[in-house]
Amino acid sequence: MGNDSIRKFYGWFTLLGLLVGSLVVLGYYKDEYREWKDYQRKFTQEEIKRAVTPQQKALAARVPVEIKQINLPELNRVDRCTSCHLAVEDPSYGGYPQPLAYHPHHSQHPFEKFGCTVCHRGQGRATTLADAHGKVEHWDEPMLPLEYIEASCGKCHEAGDNPAAPKLALGQRVFETVGCRGCHKLAGVGGILGPELDKVGARRSPEWLKKHFLAPASVTPGSGMPPQKLAEKDLEAITLFMLSQTGETAPGYYASMKVIPSAALGQRLFQQKGCITCHSVDGKGGAVGPALDDVGLRRKPEWIIQHFRDPQSVTPGSLMPRFGFSESELRALTEFVVGLREHKVALDLPSRVDPIERGHEVFRKYGCAGCHGQDAKGGVPNPNAKTAELVPDLLHVADGYTKEELKVRILNGQREINAMDPKRPAPPLYMPAWGGIIGDAEVDALVAYLISLQPKGEDVGF
Amino acid sequence: MVSSFLLHMQPAKVHRHSLKASYSLGLGLISLYLLLILVGTGTLLMFYYVPSTERAYNTMKDLQFVISAGLVLRNMHRWAAHLMVFFVLLHMCRVFYTGAYKRPREFNWVIGVMLFLITLGLSFTGYLLPWDQLAFWAITVGANIAAYAPVIGPKLQYLLLGGHTVGQEALTRFYALHMILLPAITFFMVSVHLWRVRKDGGLSRPDEAGDSVERVPLDDLPTNKSYGLMELARGTTPQVGKNPEDEVSSWPHLIFRELLLFLVVVAALLVLSIFFNAPLEEFANPIHPPNPAKAPWYFLGLQELVSYSAFWGGVVVPGLLVLVLLGLPYFDRKLHGVGRWFAHERRLANSIFTFCLIVAVVLTIIGTYFRGPNWSWQVPWKKPPVSNEGH
Repeated sequence: MGNDSIRKFYGWFTLLGLLVGSLVVLGYYKDEYREWKDYQRKFTQEEIKRAVTPQQKALAARVPVEIKQINLPELNRVDRCTSCHLAVEDPSYGGYPQPLAYHPHHSQHPFEKFGCTVCHRGQGRATTLADAHGKVEHWDEPMLPLEYIEASCGKCHEAGDNPAAPKLALGQRVFETVGCRGCHKLAGVGGILGPELDKVGARRSPEWLKKHFLAPASVTPGSGMPPQKLAEKDLEAITLFMLSQTGETAPGYYASMKVIPSAALGQRLFQQKGCITCHSVDGKGGAVGPALDDVGLRRKPEWIIQHFRDPQSVTPGSLMPRFGFSESELRALTEFVVGLREHKVALDLPSRVDPIERGHEVFRKYGCAGCHGQDAKGGVPNPNAKTAELVPDLLHVADGYTKEELKVRILNGQREINAMDPKRPAPPLYMPAWGGIIGDAEVDALVAYLISLQPKGEDVGF
Repeated sequence: MVSSFLLHMQPAKVHRHSLKASYSLGLGLISLYLLLILVGTGTLLMFYYVPSTERAYNTMKDLQFVISAGLVLRNMHRWAAHLMVFFVLLHMCRVFYTGAYKRPREFNWVIGVMLFLITLGLSFTGYLLPWDQLAFWAITVGANIAAYAPVIGPKLQYLLLGGHTVGQEALTRFYALHMILLPAITFFMVSVHLWRVRKDGGLSRPDEAGDSVERVPLDDLPTNKSYGLMELARGTTPQVGKNPEDEVSSWPHLIFRELLLFLVVVAALLVLSIFFNAPLEEFANPIHPPNPAKAPWYFLGLQELVSYSAFWGGVVVPGLLVLVLLGLPYFDRKLHGVGRWFAHERRLANSIFTFCLIVAVVLTIIGTYFRGPNWSWQVPWKKPPVSNEGH
């Protein structure tokens, strides 16, 4: 092998060297060019345009092009959204087109504490539009469409507590009244026929949920869930409520901040603590303490707060116990009782007090109507059931059961339904055992409701 | 100094036959280059990587989105790792088809088979580190296959994972294996492998007059040496230079070729890494297995076998295969047909090897492309119906 054969190598070296070199340059360019830099330059130009004095212009031009990120260790998130959305905190950018728009209403949730993705979802660490907005393969958390943003309030706050999230509150009410809990568990309460819903909001898209409500089998083949007839507004609201169920828990600082001292929380506390046993509203309740209808007129809020904190300190000799409320709870209760008269929130109360009304609520909450018909009037087919191929109505249970027997029947259920014709397939619907699902007080109320359905003028008993 | 170093890594003179690209195809060298690139890119990746189940995945995202050249580095590492498995296998095929494992290269063949297994181990341990769904479930499947081994299987799985399931302990162990233990063993074995190439007289080549290798009886060895080299070295002198008229100086003839090949490898890898991103799926979720969960591609043939019979497919067949490969040069001792591709004299051996290779490739292809949910048969161009996973 002479020098000729060696010389040809030089040509190859040059060629391949150039190829590798240009690939390195290409790789460098691809790495160096990033979408967010364009947006930052645009922002800088905008700032220079707005600057008045030369000094201001020079200052604006000196802002470095760099990744901006909000580090949220407690939430295990790093949000780099502000690398492109540079003006979220600058009100003078109100109404600007994205990504330079100002973010209104963020005073309650400062960016440095909450970042962006905890409410908006998406991929905080990403720095390209497609990846950050999360509609890419292998990312489970795409951005939440703005019309469902209230769902994120529900990740921390009780659905009904947040006056700023009316759709969420409506969604919860729909959830509790159309009978979802008859088959589904949420936070440990509900039936076992359908899957638990505690993390459904993290798994499902709004489109999927809506389809699922209207025609369950279209997205979950073989689903036994009955299609739901929901008004558009209710459909949107329950979808939103489902989206709020992500199973995430607010850590540390966030958990301490999540209680909103709203009238709704006050009302819950009012019911839980049994205020009505001693005090009365609208003439209903106990007479140990004073009636509360006009307490908002008689007392100043400061007095009421102090009274809740330590009754004896403002009313010496008062029999009312100290409940040990937190500051938020004090404010929520006060908010509620002050508004008792003005806002007529008290109108909600009797239903919670009257066991029959409450039983009706339980009936709806657990989806009894799904089989036994609206207001237990029956009419739901159950092919081959001995009871005229229908699920029986419950209008006359008082004829055949005592309260105790009825309670046992509800708690134990009936797995085998007598068939009309033993040769045909067994009736598909059966009475589930509700023991362990329905609460004790709820069963009592439900029984009271069912007994009350007996048409007037007919004998109760045997 | 560079040329001096390179010349001490390899002989000053090299046989013409060894320079023929059509003979060696440069496969061993490509594997070595990929290894070097893997060490380089791997070291850089180590600067960022945190072996924690909570943070590992985030570092992958940071590499992609904020670290300069992070994405291309990870791509290079990933593709080089896959390519290395592939090229080491091709290298083994080349050595087999040219009969190059025969005397005096038996021992180097054994080292080579071990290096192949270690390459699989390196790739497998690295597979877990991104801590995404792909990593988690591939390692879960792989470790389950290991558990099929008789007697020691479950213990082996426990030792590997540091528990019964893939978790932080497994990640820590795989990290240590991937960064220290396996690379250290690899470097020792590669050193021996390369040195044996020289010691055994360079690359194998057809017999020529005056080119035969002579065994020196042990008693005839000079007695002034007080040490032995055990199995690593045989005879007294390197068996090069027996046929000087057929040799050329390594510089530039060999080293130029080697450097050119290096540029080719780097260029190809750069193209791959600039235009194709390494896979990264969702954050690992132990309660949400993909269906089907698949092992890394080089174990998919094995997984396919296991789907027929855990014991036969997961233990007997692969175990026998490794034993036969390791022992091959010691029971195929005839010296004819060395140094030529597909030598006529070796058609039985070549046929058996080709048959095994085709079976392995077909099984791997089936496992990769033809297996859908629940490992059921599926044609790749037809999407399976959307599986019903409840809510």
